[in-house]
Amino acid sequence: MNPFKYIGRWFGKLGEVFAREFSIVTHDAGAMLFFIGLPLLYPIVYTLIYNPEVVRQLPVAVVDNSRTPESRELVRAASAAPAVQIFSYDANLADAKARMASGDVFAIMEIPSDYAKKLASGEQATVPMYFDMSLLLRYRALLGAMTDLQMKVMQDVTAARVETIGASGSGMTSLPVKSESNFMGDTSDGFASFVIPGIVILILQQSMVLGVMLIEGSSRERRRRNGGIDPKMTDNAPASSLVLGKALCYTVIYIPMALYILALIPRFFNLPHIGEPADYLLFIFPLLLASAFFGQTLSFFAKERESTFMIAVFTSVVFLFLSGLTWPRYAMSDFWRFCGDLVPGVWGIEGFIRINSNAATLSESARPFLAMWGLAALYFITAWIVMAYIRKESRTRRVPADTPNTDGPSVQEAR
Amino acid sequence: MIGLKASLLREVRRLGSRKMYICAMVLVPVLCALFFVSLLEPGLPLKTPVAVVDLDHSSMSRKVTRTLDAIETIDVSRRLESYDKAVDAVRRGEIFGFFVIPPDFESDALGQRTPTLEYYSNMTYFVPGTLTFKGFKTVAVTTAGGLVTATLVSAGADPAMVGSLIQPMTIQEHPLANPWLSYSIYLCPSFIYGVLALMIFLTTAFAITMEIKKGTSPEWIATAHGRISVALAGKLLPHTAIFSIVGISIMSLLWEYCHFPVSGSLWWFALAVVLFVMACQAFALFIVSILPNPRLSFSILALTGILSFSLTGFSFPVQSMYGALAIFSYALPVRYLFLIYVSDVLNGWPIYYVRMYYVALILFVPIGSTLAWRLKKACLKPVYVE
Repeated sequence: MNPFKYIGRWFGKLGEVFAREFSIVTHDAGAMLFFIGLPLLYPIVYTLIYNPEVVRQLPVAVVDNSRTPESRELVRAASAAPAVQIFSYDANLADAKARMASGDVFAIMEIPSDYAKKLASGEQATVPMYFDMSLLLRYRALLGAMTDLQMKVMQDVTAARVETIGASGSGMTSLPVKSESNFMGDTSDGFASFVIPGIVILILQQSMVLGVMLIEGSSRERRRRNGGIDPKMTDNAPASSLVLGKALCYTVIYIPMALYILALIPRFFNLPHIGEPADYLLFIFPLLLASAFFGQTLSFFAKERESTFMIAVFTSVVFLFLSGLTWPRYAMSDFWRFCGDLVPGVWGIEGFIRINSNAATLSESARPFLAMWGLAALYFITAWIVMAYIRKESRTRRVPADTPNTDGPSVQEAR
Repeated sequence: MIGLKASLLREVRRLGSRKMYICAMVLVPVLCALFFVSLLEPGLPLKTPVAVVDLDHSSMSRKVTRTLDAIETIDVSRRLESYDKAVDAVRRGEIFGFFVIPPDFESDALGQRTPTLEYYSNMTYFVPGTLTFKGFKTVAVTTAGGLVTATLVSAGADPAMVGSLIQPMTIQEHPLANPWLSYSIYLCPSFIYGVLALMIFLTTAFAITMEIKKGTSPEWIATAHGRISVALAGKLLPHTAIFSIVGISIMSLLWEYCHFPVSGSLWWFALAVVLFVMACQAFALFIVSILPNPRLSFSILALTGILSFSLTGFSFPVQSMYGALAIFSYALPVRYLFLIYVSDVLNGWPIYYVRMYYVALILFVPIGSTLAWRLKKACLKPVYVE
């Protein structure tokens, strides 16, 4: 056959597949829910959940065994911290622990009876503090407040003490070295600002993968009903053009969604957004393409519409952890890091966070960018193999034993 | 009860006829449990890669660098010459923060011109950012403290007194039940049972709506002699048994095999797991009764199941969420299991404090069944909307 004629025919089929797939997607309410509804709504819901950003006013119980002006001053200083709210003064530790058990307080500060005495005699006073560890976020907030409290007491007390021990000639009235902490990226140190830029990338990938699997599951059901042929799809197209045409269709649908998620959502909620749109929009293109092929590859497991949910939904949680958002990737074992390397969204999250929150350029994110292109190529090949397999299987095995379609219910095609 | 035995047998046969069930009910929850346990096995991530930018190159600045090296949560993997290069390395993702020692640091510090140590932590990744910040802050404070000691001792102060001078008051931390600050202990149980809840939701919806999709639902109801309560008991009790076994096996993985800390009673938690399985089934039944077609009920349950990981406050506390959203966390069974885990297993508080959570889990069953009559109607006239 004339190779040019073949190439021309191939592109013709590609266009036809694209158009038919577009019509299938827009007529499938379930797929539209995943392709349009989910990317529109989920980012808003997630941001609203985490939008309070920081934990404040955590209730703390105080057991003051010292009962001196010094100990009351300490409690006053503690309650000035935004993270702390003094909930109660309890007579003893047992009472305070009962409060913690009822969930009223998340920490107990026990001021020892010799607190004021030690401060006055120039010794070091020790104040035990008990933390509820059900959530590390609360512990972290309270611990930060307590560290600041230590610093404050030091500033108040040290200058006076230096005088009394007769070392004032040293001129040492404050610390000889100052220190300055700077937060990069998520300057407010907030939870939404940290988690949302990562989650939205996973939403893009997972909603597309689920939608694609749903569509392929339905297509396989149609193939089984119609002797191996999906009447809604051009069936004599080469498998490669079928796979690519579908992927292009999904990618085109997702371009406005990506614009909305990456450019608008951070602005709506005033999350970090210091990246250049040109950088992150170019960056996201291979993610969309790789996700489309990834979804078609996973469709191997989607024998019918409903099985998609059974096998694909839980992967979101697994991918979230593989991405390193919760547990950093450098601390993972080589095996899990390798598994993460195979997920387009894992690279997408890493690169997008750097661009969006740290103002990295596309060239500085070259590694994740190229990795996603690599995955796009890999999953194109696997999707091609899966597509060839599905067509062969549905032609040979017409009606599997587990899908009795005789005496089936009346099937209404949703429009 | 008439028809119960036949219904039970019918469902057991159905469970055995599809590989999908064993996959969803056993393989996914167990493999996810192994995944979380294995991924988070170190407990606390050590060795966060960071850089030091030493612009002074004095003996004192080298001492600061050595102190940084000694902090176990960070790993000074790079020594860079300028602030710009360090920012570049952060953008490339090579380091999570850097510590800047200014020029003339030593002479300024000794000449009491108060130099400033600056440190930068990249908070775009929460855990590495926090660990970097904590390590840097410790070094900054100890450096200052060391200088104070040296100066005061040389000015004639008693070295024994100087320690209390630098820190007249210390907070003695007691992180109850998790002194290792292990992420595994606090993330594994909640996320693993979160996955179990998701799979119970989906399996329940699958088992019921597939009857409607395939048109076998009239026969299902007929097997139970037309009584939806018997039909549901026959269908869901085998699932309850399997999921309870899986849930309790996961307990043995966590607390027997991996030696997660136990302060309270695992028997009470095992009871909670069984009640939790039934509560999740009831939740799914409720949704399926409202929307008795596979597409909608699956979508709603999948979306709820995934959102519940965030909404039940495994990482961001419910008490700090907006009230209008926080209220939904109490509609999800996994919230109560999480609270029971924290109170009973982790903290070892008496069971008295969580009695209401057990009641809540039990209440899911009657509430979830209230709309079963709607489901019966849908089952007798099955219509499948693709």
